[in-house]
Amino acid sequence: MNIDINNRLHSVCRDRWRSTAPVCMIRGLLCCLLMFCGFGLFLSDAYAAAAADELNCVLCHKYRGLSRIDEAGDFRLYYINKGLFNKGPHKRVQCKDCHADIDKIPHDPAEKVDCTIQCHLTEPSGNEKFTHKPVAEVLAKSVHGTVDKGEEDVQYPEDYPYCTDCHDQPLYRPLSFFKGQAAGVSERGLSRCKTCHQTGDFAEDFYNHVTSRLQKMRVSSEIVKLCAKCHGDEEFQERHGLQGNVVASYWETFHGKAAYFGSDEAPDCIDCHVVYGENVHSIAGRASRASATHEANVSATCRASECHADAGEQIAGYQVHTDYGDPDKYPLQYYMLKFFKYLMAGVLYFFITIIFLELLRRLFPDFSFIKQPEEKRQSTISTAAKQ
Amino acid sequence: MLDALKAIIRTVYIFALMGFTLWFGYFLHPVIFGMDGAETEEDIATREIGAFFGEGATEEEKEFMKSIKQQQQTSTTDLGYMVIEEQYVKGHFHHVGMKVESDSSSICTGCHGAVPHDKAKTIRAFLNMHAFYMACETCHVRPEGNEPRYEFRWYDKETGKVVANPPGLNTLDESMYGNYAAKISPGELRRDGTFKFLNGPKELAFVERYLKEESRLNDTQKSKMKKVIHRNVNEDPLICDGCHTIVDEPYLPYTLLGYPQRRLHELTSTEVVGMINKYKEFYIPHLLRGGGVDKDVEAE
Repeated sequence: MNIDINNRLHSVCRDRWRSTAPVCMIRGLLCCLLMFCGFGLFLSDAYAAAAADELNCVLCHKYRGLSRIDEAGDFRLYYINKGLFNKGPHKRVQCKDCHADIDKIPHDPAEKVDCTIQCHLTEPSGNEKFTHKPVAEVLAKSVHGTVDKGEEDVQYPEDYPYCTDCHDQPLYRPLSFFKGQAAGVSERGLSRCKTCHQTGDFAEDFYNHVTSRLQKMRVSSEIVKLCAKCHGDEEFQERHGLQGNVVASYWETFHGKAAYFGSDEAPDCIDCHVVYGENVHSIAGRASRASATHEANVSATCRASECHADAGEQIAGYQVHTDYGDPDKYPLQYYMLKFFKYLMAGVLYFFITIIFLELLRRLFPDFSFIKQPEEKRQSTISTAAKQ
Repeated sequence: MLDALKAIIRTVYIFALMGFTLWFGYFLHPVIFGMDGAETEEDIATREIGAFFGEGATEEEKEFMKSIKQQQQTSTTDLGYMVIEEQYVKGHFHHVGMKVESDSSSICTGCHGAVPHDKAKTIRAFLNMHAFYMACETCHVRPEGNEPRYEFRWYDKETGKVVANPPGLNTLDESMYGNYAAKISPGELRRDGTFKFLNGPKELAFVERYLKEESRLNDTQKSKMKKVIHRNVNEDPLICDGCHTIVDEPYLPYTLLGYPQRRLHELTSTEVVGMINKYKEFYIPHLLRGGGVDKDVEAE
């Protein structure tokens, strides 16, 4: 069964790629050109300002064992894998840009990093210091924000996510478009950039940054596992009045199985819960009219251009988070599943029993629980022999 | 004879098919009914601990249960051209990028854990860092009086046996520093030329036996046994400048342990030694901060 699904996925992906490749490539090139104009300033400014680890923090932090158990009993690891750190956009950021309160050795207990502070990079479109503050503002207004939404203050504010609850250190996921799409950097594509942009790692970083942003930063299964940190926790769901194990029910769907088997195109939580084209941090509760999963918006969400663009309105009737184990909420699905499972088991085990008994008969051809009189037995044998 | 052979082959063939049929029936059950309800090792551990603490578990007890759940968790990041699988560390932002071998040969970590240093707040993380590639007895057991100096060798974290100097010492990849799957530990050279660690398999077996039988001992016996186990531990452990020194000969024979000259210079460099010597008053120069003299320095 797994092989079938995989094959089908591969063929779907292949067909889809063939049909959309030219559009994607043109769109990609346009994005590259547009971003090149503005983004060049961003990077050139960054390179002018930044030098790798000026304070030589990795003198100590390059050791894997640099760690302790904090007062709350949590394991605190202070190791920096320099090789991986340099594979992401933060490579241009100094340690002190984020860990701003650390200013002496030995360090005082550090404060939690504030992702909304301004760093020394300049954001090219507005020519202002770069900050993640706009993202935090969007998040604050979303269902994940703790800002009062006109009702009472949110309950259990400690459950609401901070940036680092969902984001670990971002890493580039470069793409090559040179001859067909493939993961990684196209050395031949990059060599064209380097014809003009020869200083430092400018061309490599620009290429990595832009091509990474032209696709999802995480594969579908990673996104689901990320959301599952909270929404897979039954106590959490109960505390916030959220119904059912939405993670388990997602994995049961075709979408979930495709994601599980590694499909990058399979829809994950973000695809359905963020309004098409909006900031991914702007998820609204299902009751909100602005939500992508609001009753009135579901069909539009499903019929997004990268998904079921040709589907009818009825697609909104598809139940994504059906809990097949809940007979009270989903009695039809529950009993239908039970019926088919037992039907399948009945058919298969019936034939398995027949085969087993047939084999047994071959071992003991004369065996019988009913003892026949000797004369009758002989007559039966002779009749059988004649026939 | 041939008929008998045929009959045997036929019987074996039938038995094999019957076995396959039974196995197939067993195999079909989870295929039809799914793995619903099947408990993982993690689930079993959580259930057992939950049953032990009962319904009204405290926050600490719940934290313990969470730790049990998280101990085997890994995190996977698929970059398309490479997949990073690493140990999951709750709340850790930066990528670790590697899994770590636990030290199953140490006689200390069974009780003290792999992150044992906690008292000296300013240097505890540094001490734990050293515990990653040095056995506890390297610093905490030292020759006394006129005892000859110890010899040092690397041991495999998993097997506890002497291993050759780790090739990782020569790597230029700084992210692998300290992560050699081996630790430095003291021992003695015997007359026959073989090497014996101060704490080897025999001592490990002794400690493991003690932990197993501990509940059968009375309080006095426990104290006595703990004294015996810790009898070689020095009250004054080796401190930083015992090894990170420019003036004297370092306590650890770096060259014999396989450290290349480049690493040797790093470990005894002015940068490291100077930082250790001036530890308490060494401040990061505020290169990036405008506005003149640092307030702390000014106050001093």
